[in-house]
Amino acid sequence: MDMLYLGVAFFLLLNLLAGLWRVLRGPSAADRMLASQLFGTTAVAILLLLAERFATPALRDVALLFALLAAVTAVAFVRRIGSSHERQ
Amino acid sequence: MEKVTLLIMLFDLLLGLGLLWLAWQLLESRNLFKAVVLFVAFGLLMALAWVRLDAPDVALAEAAIGAGLTGALLMAALAKLPSRDKSEPLADEKGHWLLRLALLLVAAGLGYVVHSLPESAPGLSAEIANNLASSGVNNPVTAVLLNFRGYDTLLELMVLMLALLGVWSLGIERSTREEPVGPVLTTLVQFLTPLLILVAAYLLWAGADAPGGAFQAGAVLAAAMVLLLLAGWPLQGLLTGVALRLMLVAGPATFVALAGLTLLDAQLLAYPPQHAGKLILLLEVAATLSIAVTLAALFLGYRPRTNKEPG
Repeated sequence: MDMLYLGVAFFLLLNLLAGLWRVLRGPSAADRMLASQLFGTTAVAILLLLAERFATPALRDVALLFALLAAVTAVAFVRRIGSSHERQ
Repeated sequence: MEKVTLLIMLFDLLLGLGLLWLAWQLLESRNLFKAVVLFVAFGLLMALAWVRLDAPDVALAEAAIGAGLTGALLMAALAKLPSRDKSEPLADEKGHWLLRLALLLVAAGLGYVVHSLPESAPGLSAEIANNLASSGVNNPVTAVLLNFRGYDTLLELMVLMLALLGVWSLGIERSTREEPVGPVLTTLVQFLTPLLILVAAYLLWAGADAPGGAFQAGAVLAAAMVLLLLAGWPLQGLLTGVALRLMLVAGPATFVALAGLTLLDAQLLAYPPQHAGKLILLLEVAATLSIAVTLAALFLGYRPRTNKEPG
């Protein structure tokens, strides 16, 4: 089980770093924003796996915060940036 | 067993290199929006790094501030900037080599300090563990922040207050035109705001026994307020004048009052052990409120009009 939790967490971290390519390339602001939202979801999964593996339930609270607060960043993007920064 | 250790090492290595690379990319970016998104991603990886460094309390604070507030704050600030051509240099390039030299010196100094650190320092954790019973809480981090080193937290609250005063000195509210709010955002806000308030209360209460506490709870509560502000709720209309100022000073004022009382009795912020738990809870509730309102007021970026000031 140890190997499984860690292996999947490692794979997810690789995924997250691969997703950075989309943030760097864009081209539109929405592309970058969506990629970073995906990171939030991936980080939640990594944290839950680490919480199981290292038996630290506090990490589930960190995951909870990421899950809840990712939406706030998305709302800020829609309300403050929106389409005005498209194709920058 | 061997394979597991290797995998953990690979994970940490990837995390560390990823952080360095992200930091480089976001500092080098000419596109400010890209830099903001990279900074949010940086906060996310940083929280994972704190988890790996066995500091869940810091990871929790990083998640609350980094995921909830910094992104929203930076994007709101970016929206207020006049739009620029991306080929335009960010600042005067001439002074850059001087800046780079200075940064190199700082990096060398830091490297020397890290190198000269003792291999294993005993630290104060044993002493804290011995005195935890008299602190009134079971989480050693909360015990240090609110009891053993309470004056640090008192001064931190003052720093937050100073930051807000700085922002307020920049000007008062200007009327901005907001786009109408659609049904999706309204529904999201209706579901998410109560959840955020609940989680903030949970973190505040959990702080006595587990990672959590006033800063994390305050940041989550502030995120709820930011969400309401983004959805066009006239919070700044409700939070003006005396009401706002009372909430801003609730934390620092409670702290200072308690500091005065304990100074008369014995020693600065040395609580009687039988009341320590209750006093810490009182301080944390007041601090949570102040931190939340201060962070939300920072997000607004201007001083809200009082009712007496003409619009």
